[in-house]
Amino acid sequence: MEREPVDSSNIATIGYDVDSETLEIEFIRGGVYQYFDVPAQIYEDLLSADSAGQYLNAHVKGVYRYSKI
Amino acid sequence: MSNTETYLGDVQDVNGTTVSISLSKESLTGFVYIDGQGYRVGQIGSFIRIPIGFNDLFGIISQVGASAVPEKQVESQRHGNKWMTIQLIGEGPRNGIFQRGLSQYPTIGDEVHLVSEKELKNIYGQPDKPYFVKLGHISNADSIPALVDVNKLVTRHSAVVGTTGSGKSTTVASIMNKLSDPKRYPSSRIIMIDLHGEYGQALQENSNIYKINSDISSKLKEKELLIPFWALNFDELCEISFGEFNNEKDKNVVMERVQNYKLKSLKKNPRKGASADALSVDSPIPFSIHQLWYELFIEVFGTYYKGKDGRPIDNLAYETDSNGKELKGNPMEGIPPIFKNIVTEKGEDKIFYLPGSLSIGKQLLLLGTKLRIPRYNFIFKPNQWMPDTEGDVAQDLDCLLKDWVGSNKPITILDLSGVPADILQTTIGALLRLLYEALFWARQLSQGGRHRPLLVVMEEAHIYLNDNLKGMASKIVQRIVKEGRKYGIGAMIVSQRPSEINPTILSQCGTFFALRLTNASDRSHITSTISDNLDGLTSMLPILRTGEAIILGEAVKLPMRTTIEAPPKNKRPDSQDPIIYDEVPLDDSENPGGWGIKMEVKPNYEELIETWRAQNPKISRIMEDK
Repeated sequence: MEREPVDSSNIATIGYDVDSETLEIEFIRGGVYQYFDVPAQIYEDLLSADSAGQYLNAHVKGVYRYSKI
Repeated sequence: MSNTETYLGDVQDVNGTTVSISLSKESLTGFVYIDGQGYRVGQIGSFIRIPIGFNDLFGIISQVGASAVPEKQVESQRHGNKWMTIQLIGEGPRNGIFQRGLSQYPTIGDEVHLVSEKELKNIYGQPDKPYFVKLGHISNADSIPALVDVNKLVTRHSAVVGTTGSGKSTTVASIMNKLSDPKRYPSSRIIMIDLHGEYGQALQENSNIYKINSDISSKLKEKELLIPFWALNFDELCEISFGEFNNEKDKNVVMERVQNYKLKSLKKNPRKGASADALSVDSPIPFSIHQLWYELFIEVFGTYYKGKDGRPIDNLAYETDSNGKELKGNPMEGIPPIFKNIVTEKGEDKIFYLPGSLSIGKQLLLLGTKLRIPRYNFIFKPNQWMPDTEGDVAQDLDCLLKDWVGSNKPITILDLSGVPADILQTTIGALLRLLYEALFWARQLSQGGRHRPLLVVMEEAHIYLNDNLKGMASKIVQRIVKEGRKYGIGAMIVSQRPSEINPTILSQCGTFFALRLTNASDRSHITSTISDNLDGLTSMLPILRTGEAIILGEAVKLPMRTTIEAPPKNKRPDSQDPIIYDEVPLDDSENPGGWGIKMEVKPNYEELIETWRAQNPKISRIMEDK
């Protein structure tokens, strides 16, 4: 999956696969996670959020299931 | 030296290396200043000096107070608490170099002095020789570096012990960082057996990581860990593939077959150094275990048409599928052939079992499963080391060893977190034996062990060097610690449960890094293994601070209580402990789980079962990088 770099103190890159609705996040610390069944809107909001880390915590964590890669 | 500032008291009783001293009235203030620096008198574990002529004897304070009074004097001592017990450890000429061992004893009335930082430096401080590495500094004396002799550290073996959370992994990472410094040791050679994948992150700059089911997309650039089955000796191979045999005869038959396969392979592809005469069943010659399995499977489970001419083996009664095709299976994929049931009724074509007396049906079914299951691929389908049906391989063992001990990076981390638990112990044993054999036989060569010694770091050693297991790993490590010194293979045993480690192994370790150890049985185990009479020091083990270690043994001049210099934050090992509640603010944390974050709306337990059934932590839903 292609991931785009983002400007954040926490997140390094973000990628999204439209067909499977999979959101992939790579953190600066090194961990990569895939979140499943995430609507495209969330991905777009995440990209445009002032703070990606904050947005992630508020709208993705604890909402969508994930797997560490 | 009539230095009254440092004067503590006088020797009153000498009993072997144990010396009792009575403190002088002047020194009882408890706090003295020497060269403007304050020292507390009578700290357990601190050093004292007894000047005798031109020499100084040095000792460690092991006991202070009333109980330190010699037994016979208890009655007559009015102020019984002004006593100390000292363990003598070594001597040195005045202003000279300290040495372990004593050539003379103190006598009654000799003065006892406190050791100031300046003198300590003399004892500990080594000239800046490149074979000493600095791991930190002496606790309570920041200016004195804690130096460890690399020569002794590697060849005389070492052990790092400490309770979980005492800073064990950080200590190991710190040592590894120092030893892999390319400027100092441009060709250091270290292999780490990492059971939990802790060190990849910490040592990524100077290491290659080999892992089963490696993640190519990972930042750490993991490579695939492969251990070709044909490099194992017969015992290891059996343990990993067939399991226990029912009787000696079955084992011998299989052994003979393996030997034959290796012989055939060798004839077809001659390999330097191996000859048909000297070939043994343990020789590392590639052969096709898949073919062997298939052949044995037919012999054990096969049926044949009794009525036809020729040998039974030529008339096998394969079952057919709906298209009439014979179900012959596929040896390379571990798919067994399916045979017709036996028929003994009159008038019909009779089908009998193949004659034979092997009773290894269970073993073959087990091996068949292993040949099919992907998690055993690292051993049975080792990519470029996978023999074809004739026993030819794309790459020989030289490439494997070059990857492990001859790459451009000093450290090779073998991440065994993906090895199935039932064969973990044998896998580690086999792996270490491969390395040992290779370096042992190559001892005259520049790539061999004698000329470029190897340090093997064994993490979580209590799991596979357990005293109860008479296993492969324990056997080979015993050999390494006993003989490895001569052939340039050093062991570093790391464990939080030293009492569970085979005592032979532990007793051969020349240097100990003892971090905080709270468990009494572990502590007594360490105390009894350490050669020095240093009860006073080992009694400090439960109260050491995190990241503090007592280093004792051959690699250090004197036992030293050391504050280990932790590597920079991004070079610290990942303890990989599950997080209950994140200590990092949630917005800044990468961790999406724990008890502090609410459960997702639609948890999926089907995926949970999927991982279990597939025996693979990765679900099929994950988008793989292409």
